[in-house]
Amino acid sequence: MDMMARPQLQRDAVIETIVAAARKDKDILFISADLGAAALDSFREDFPDQFIHAGIAEQNMVDLASGLALSGKKVFLYAMAPFITARCYEQVKCVIASMNLPVTLIAVGVGLGYDHATLTHFTPEDIACMRALNGIEVLTPSDANSAAAIAQACIDDPKFRYIRLERQPLAALYHSGFDAALKDGFGHLTAGSRVAIVACGYLTHNALAAADALRDSGIEAGVIDLVRVKPLDGAKLTELFAGYDAVLTVEEQLLEGGMGSALAEALIDAADGRRAVVPIKRLGLRDGFEVVNGDRGELHRLYGIGTDQIITAAEHLAEALPA
Amino acid sequence: MNINDLEDKALWLRQELWEMAMRQKKGHIPSSYSCADIVTALYYGGVLNYKAGDPDYADRDRVIVSKGHAAMVLYPVLADLGYFPADELKRFTEPGGLLGMYADFRIPGIEGISGSLGHGLGMGAGFALAARQDGHDYRTFVILGDGECYEGSIWESAMFSAHHKLDNLVAIVDRNELCILGRTEDLVALGDLEDKWRSFGWNAISIDGHDFAEIGDAFAKLDKLDGRPLAIIANTVKGKGVSFMEGRSEWHNRMPSDEQMNTARGELGLAAVQGGEA
Repeated sequence: MDMMARPQLQRDAVIETIVAAARKDKDILFISADLGAAALDSFREDFPDQFIHAGIAEQNMVDLASGLALSGKKVFLYAMAPFITARCYEQVKCVIASMNLPVTLIAVGVGLGYDHATLTHFTPEDIACMRALNGIEVLTPSDANSAAAIAQACIDDPKFRYIRLERQPLAALYHSGFDAALKDGFGHLTAGSRVAIVACGYLTHNALAAADALRDSGIEAGVIDLVRVKPLDGAKLTELFAGYDAVLTVEEQLLEGGMGSALAEALIDAADGRRAVVPIKRLGLRDGFEVVNGDRGELHRLYGIGTDQIITAAEHLAEALPA
Repeated sequence: MNINDLEDKALWLRQELWEMAMRQKKGHIPSSYSCADIVTALYYGGVLNYKAGDPDYADRDRVIVSKGHAAMVLYPVLADLGYFPADELKRFTEPGGLLGMYADFRIPGIEGISGSLGHGLGMGAGFALAARQDGHDYRTFVILGDGECYEGSIWESAMFSAHHKLDNLVAIVDRNELCILGRTEDLVALGDLEDKWRSFGWNAISIDGHDFAEIGDAFAKLDKLDGRPLAIIANTVKGKGVSFMEGRSEWHNRMPSDEQMNTARGELGLAAVQGGEA
């Protein structure tokens, strides 16, 4: 592949943004549990006091962050997704969430990003477990530009956040308009009327491909990039989905507690006891899912979340709905 | 304060804790009593730098009771320093009161939350690192339970602190040898803790945690630190000061009978009361 044509990695976009801020603000600290990035190399050299290697010791990394944050530091924690979530969950709950400290947790390789590493490196539960934390904001960028903008928001307004980064480079989706998506919590990337396909991160790109194919076959599918899975603006989403006949969610998460679960809850709560606005179909990993060797695309097909399966599910939804 | 005064102050602290706990039938007396002399020495023995009446004083030394079930040991002291009204002690654990069973960071003088074991040393390392980065002279003292040293996170933090030469960090291990179900050495042996801390790159010293001369000597080592954090293994007796609780794990969070209550009151120099309650 032509290296010049390869899109920037989200982690590099995030770190470059943080480094630029750290040059002017010595209170910004970046702590890694032994995860690197091209953009991190110069930061380590130029700012040895502001880059801290935690060791492969996520528990201490989080406890340390609490003491630093209580001392006025703006702390960014950085690790592979499985190890900055479930591995040190009790630490995050007890010393970050409990005091609502302005610490940003940056995870790389969410969902099935570490495809060939299989189960220990998958995070089919990271949305479920992290959104259950009191006071947390959970964000998933879908390209390098949105990742950089989210990092800038973390710098401008430090608070307790969990940022879900894709491991692989993703084609640029946002050249402008991400400010509105960040404010609303979602980007309405493609307008439609029949089926609204909701995804985030990597799968937003599959959703866009599926919507293109669906429109070619006469089904007006829209795509919503659910940038912020917590908190969700149920009223605004209800308003959005009022323009659709059905919603199809697709995710690299177990359905229990994942993105589609969060969306459904938000719509139910916004309806406040009345019938929710729109029928919802969810695609994602199901309890008892099998772990096999395979690349991302093969895993998607196995778990029923490949682009073709998104198309098929949307077609079934459209067939079942009044024209 | 001289040693006699410190002993009087420690008795006062145990009395206050007794009244607090028995009024509400809540609290962890034995765990608090095993570190009560250490806490007394810290606050009244000229160890800590603080400003009475000003819990937010920037250069104050930081204290974390990482064995959070014993956080109450600080409450009478913090009230005595004028950080909050002493009346709050009477409302311990009550709805609307300031003081709960475990350390709540919203209490003036409490630096961070504790209750779940294994977090305080890492948090303390964060304070110590921030102090160095910001050019502050304050020290951070973390009171750990010996049972807490089962937590792997403690040793992650110990390794990190030694690597970063955090000699403004002090870990005090309240070595009362008891956890809820029995003696540590019978359950899963902790072994030679002094040796363990030293092997992690710390200065380490073992003392009698109820002997103010030995406690004072240990803290005097802070004046000549050499780039290593300091671990003080304080050999203590859980429940120290109430004979029937001393060294007995079953009293971890049990409340005494009326008769036992007055036995304890007598040993603590408190007047007997009807029904044992103040």
